[in-house]
Amino acid sequence: MQIDYKLKDKFELGIFFPALFLIIIGLLAVFSATSNNPAAEGNFQKQLFWAVLSIVIFFIVYFLPTNTFRMISIPAYLFSLLLLVIVLVAGKKVSGARSWLDLGLLGFQPAEFAKIGTILALSAFLSRRNTDIESFSDIIKALSIGFIPVALILLEPDMGTSFVFVGLILTLIFWKGISLFGLFLVLSPAMVAVASLFGTIYFISAVVIVLAALLFFKKNIFFSGSIIAFNIGAGFFTDYVYNALSPHQQKRIQSFIDPMADPLGAGYNAIQAKVAIGSGGFFGKGFLNGNQTQLQYIPEQWTDFIYCVIGEEFGFIGSIVTLGLFLFLFIRILRTASAAKDEFLSLLIIGILSVYFIHLLINIGMVLGIMPVIGIPLPFVSYGGSSLLVNVFMLGIIANIYRTRKEYT
Amino acid sequence: MNNGRVLLISVFVVLFFFVLVFKLFNVQILEHEEYTYKAQRQQMSTEKIRPERGLIFDRNNLLLVYNKNDVSFYVDIRMAEKNRKYKPKEKIAEKFSEVFGKSKSHYLNLMQTSKKHICLEEKVSSEKTLLLKNFRVAGLYAVDDPTRVYPYNNLTSHILGYVNTEYAGTNGIERVYDKLLKGEEGIRLVEKNALGETIIVAEKDTKPALPGDNLYLTINKSYQSVLEEELDSGLNYYGGTSAVGIIMDPNTGEILALANKKDFDPNLYWQSNDENRRNRSVTDTYEPGSTFKSITIASLLDQNLCRLDETLNVENGRFKFKNVYIRDTHNRDRLSVKDIIVESSNIGISKLVQRIDNETYYKYVRGFGFGNYTASKLPGEANGTLKKPNDWTSLTKTFISFGYEISVTPLQLISAYSALINGGILYEPSLVKKQIKRNGIVVNEFPPIQIRRVISKETSAVLRELLASVVEDGTGKNAKIESVRVGGKTGTSQKLVDGSYSKAEYNSSFVGFFPVENPKVVCLILVNSPTVGRYGGAVAAPIFKQIAQRIIDADINKFRIDDNNESYIKYAVNDVDDQSEIKKKHINNFVKSFEPAKSIIQKKVMPDLKNHSLRDGIVLLTQLGIKYEVKGSGRIVSQSIEPGATLKNGLKCRLECEEITVNGTTVY
Repeated sequence: MQIDYKLKDKFELGIFFPALFLIIIGLLAVFSATSNNPAAEGNFQKQLFWAVLSIVIFFIVYFLPTNTFRMISIPAYLFSLLLLVIVLVAGKKVSGARSWLDLGLLGFQPAEFAKIGTILALSAFLSRRNTDIESFSDIIKALSIGFIPVALILLEPDMGTSFVFVGLILTLIFWKGISLFGLFLVLSPAMVAVASLFGTIYFISAVVIVLAALLFFKKNIFFSGSIIAFNIGAGFFTDYVYNALSPHQQKRIQSFIDPMADPLGAGYNAIQAKVAIGSGGFFGKGFLNGNQTQLQYIPEQWTDFIYCVIGEEFGFIGSIVTLGLFLFLFIRILRTASAAKDEFLSLLIIGILSVYFIHLLINIGMVLGIMPVIGIPLPFVSYGGSSLLVNVFMLGIIANIYRTRKEYT
Repeated sequence: MNNGRVLLISVFVVLFFFVLVFKLFNVQILEHEEYTYKAQRQQMSTEKIRPERGLIFDRNNLLLVYNKNDVSFYVDIRMAEKNRKYKPKEKIAEKFSEVFGKSKSHYLNLMQTSKKHICLEEKVSSEKTLLLKNFRVAGLYAVDDPTRVYPYNNLTSHILGYVNTEYAGTNGIERVYDKLLKGEEGIRLVEKNALGETIIVAEKDTKPALPGDNLYLTINKSYQSVLEEELDSGLNYYGGTSAVGIIMDPNTGEILALANKKDFDPNLYWQSNDENRRNRSVTDTYEPGSTFKSITIASLLDQNLCRLDETLNVENGRFKFKNVYIRDTHNRDRLSVKDIIVESSNIGISKLVQRIDNETYYKYVRGFGFGNYTASKLPGEANGTLKKPNDWTSLTKTFISFGYEISVTPLQLISAYSALINGGILYEPSLVKKQIKRNGIVVNEFPPIQIRRVISKETSAVLRELLASVVEDGTGKNAKIESVRVGGKTGTSQKLVDGSYSKAEYNSSFVGFFPVENPKVVCLILVNSPTVGRYGGAVAAPIFKQIAQRIIDADINKFRIDDNNESYIKYAVNDVDDQSEIKKKHINNFVKSFEPAKSIIQKKVMPDLKNHSLRDGIVLLTQLGIKYEVKGSGRIVSQSIEPGATLKNGLKCRLECEEITVNGTTVY
């Protein structure tokens, strides 16, 4: 392969610039959403500070030796777990969840950092020479690595971030090359879990489907039995988790099914979000002119509902441009991932991509009413220091891998 | 590596983006209108603007009723609950306890309710409202809650009436002229945020409220004060369950004063029962007794059926007519027609009335307005009972002649007396002189309305002299005044108690007027069941005398009839020019004005103007003769002369005003 020494060869502009634009759009939106709200005074300045800091961090990560990531994978993972345990004990409760670690001047959410640790550790495990993704024990090991942080995060409880982890684990296993049947088996507990939320009949039907699949592929009794047991366990576990959820989170899941059932309660945000975006129209109402935003119809809009600001004030055009930047970024990341020669690095990139994508999927899906209202931020755009730093850190890893992609064969 | 999987992921990602774009297209382009409508519906709301209710003045531009623009504070509990994390209830309780000095837990308990909206503080003054001006908390809102102020309390209460909690006139003038007073509601379009706070008022879409018109009554507040004070002291002295007094200008039918005792305070109307709030002068009928003899004799004289100097046998005070005995209080043998009236002989008038046929007599009685509603339009007015001749028994006419078998309201009787003495013309009794818009344009003047001529001018002139004799030589002696000739007629009627005439309970009445030569004032006094004395001449006439004396003393020129033709001619004109009279007053430097009780104005004490609208404040100060200096506009928030300070001439009061707009809606 011909080596190109130009900047473009060392630095993936197609990754850096979309992310930068998204951060700028985010800053504008945060400014608009907080400008009239005394409760959010200073949020824009904070976000601006984080944005500048995150770009510095991006370049630091960019220039690290690439093999650093493999080296720190296990310590980073263990450190993440430690933080997750600490936050359960000493964390600050913010809107019902003990997810915030307050360190005086600095505060952050360990779950955000655990994303990096988990991706690193899982990628490292899956890329071991002797890992066989089709083997039952290795799948269990991989799932364990992934689900220990999930369990800790569920205890906070922070359902949104847990979802992200589940998606991340599944994507990594998929990328590693699990057979479709294996993926089905791995997915089956999730399917059973979701079904169990709808009621007993759905739960039993889902288990029967899994059983039928096992019989069809003529798996041995011991294997089938374990899988079924695992599935049923997942169903009950979900039930337990659902009951452990705070009432407002339960309501949010219910209101997803019918938002109009309680328009002033749990469905309020979903309806107001749609009203904001819908009333924006094609060209939008103009910067700082979105009444829905400026009149604070959507509580804490600068965090999870930031996309409404864009939709309302910049209209369909603004919404599409934002989506386009994400799509462009994702395609570029995917290209980098498939170009990476090293399996660990490739897994790493895909893991990061899955985090971005799931965030986008849940966040924008929620805003547009095709997903339940699960509070997770929109990458690069939403207000929040931890989230922005972690996202940019991960982007730095991708850029780093791109920089050295030709050195690894 | 994993080319198939790259493709799979790419397809999945792109597919999802398509779903998002599709959904965005739906929401932002296809359903755009619907969401715009929804957004506007929740962000923009119309608010009613409450018009300011019209003010009420007396005939000399004295302010009798005005508005105080208070504000009430409410909490939308649901809104407060929804924003629980900002602890709105705690913040409200803290701030309110700081401003109003009540305990924090008091407010917290109030907010601990299942109701959706609760009122925290009612009718808060503008000073305190100012303290809460920048206090914005989820769920807290303010509502305009004006108070109708009747500065003279009980004075003129039955005429003015009062407004209910919805600010609608429920009695008296407030009710009769509610439409004129209430004005027109305005509408404004406001943009509201999620907390229900008003953010922007869309000025161009605002239709301002039209304030109600001001009314100028025919009432003379000075007369009213005199009347009420004297009725009170009369009732106090003679006992009795209630008393009614009316003063009227006989030449126009304008009611100059009207009072009932017991009365009530319109500011606190709910504290009085209906007994006190009833305007007896129009709602209660009674048998007028001897006061009705004037009506009878007027119809006879008008028909030339008798002469004043002819004499009749009055049967020594006891006369069997058909199957009933009619008695007189004095046992006389013969009396002239004049003395029948002067001494109030029932037998004499009974004999005289036989000369007129039923139909003609009925026409006269009817002509004086009996049996009909007057035009006063006051709520609850009664028309009294006057049977048609067809229903009369052989005794009816006889009894009517001295005021039985007929029931009248005091207002009907005084109107009839006006016609008796003013030259024979019945006027509609009126309470309102003019209606003026806020911009000063007179919308409506209410000139005196003649209903009909009842008796001839000559008969009326005879009646005046006849009634003057009653006061000079007869039953009305107690009404006699040195300076001015007074005419009048007493009346004492037994009250119907459980279907038979009571020997213990009487209606004692007197209708008097002065000056006899050119009556300017007619006054009716009715005392119900007095315990000290029972005859109209002994109870009502002295009360009348007190009133007449004070009215005359206050403005002797108005009532003095001397040989000075010029002044006579001047006062012969019905519509007296108030200005020239006032000037005259000063030139003569003779008269003192009244010292009415309970007046915040003439006690020469500085009133509390805070929270009043600037206009109301200026009106009050002008009446006090205080110069003023104004800073700002809107409502008065501070005054340089402390409330309660004694006023001296030449003081200047500095008023500071501020436009007070409080966050929140104006709903009512």
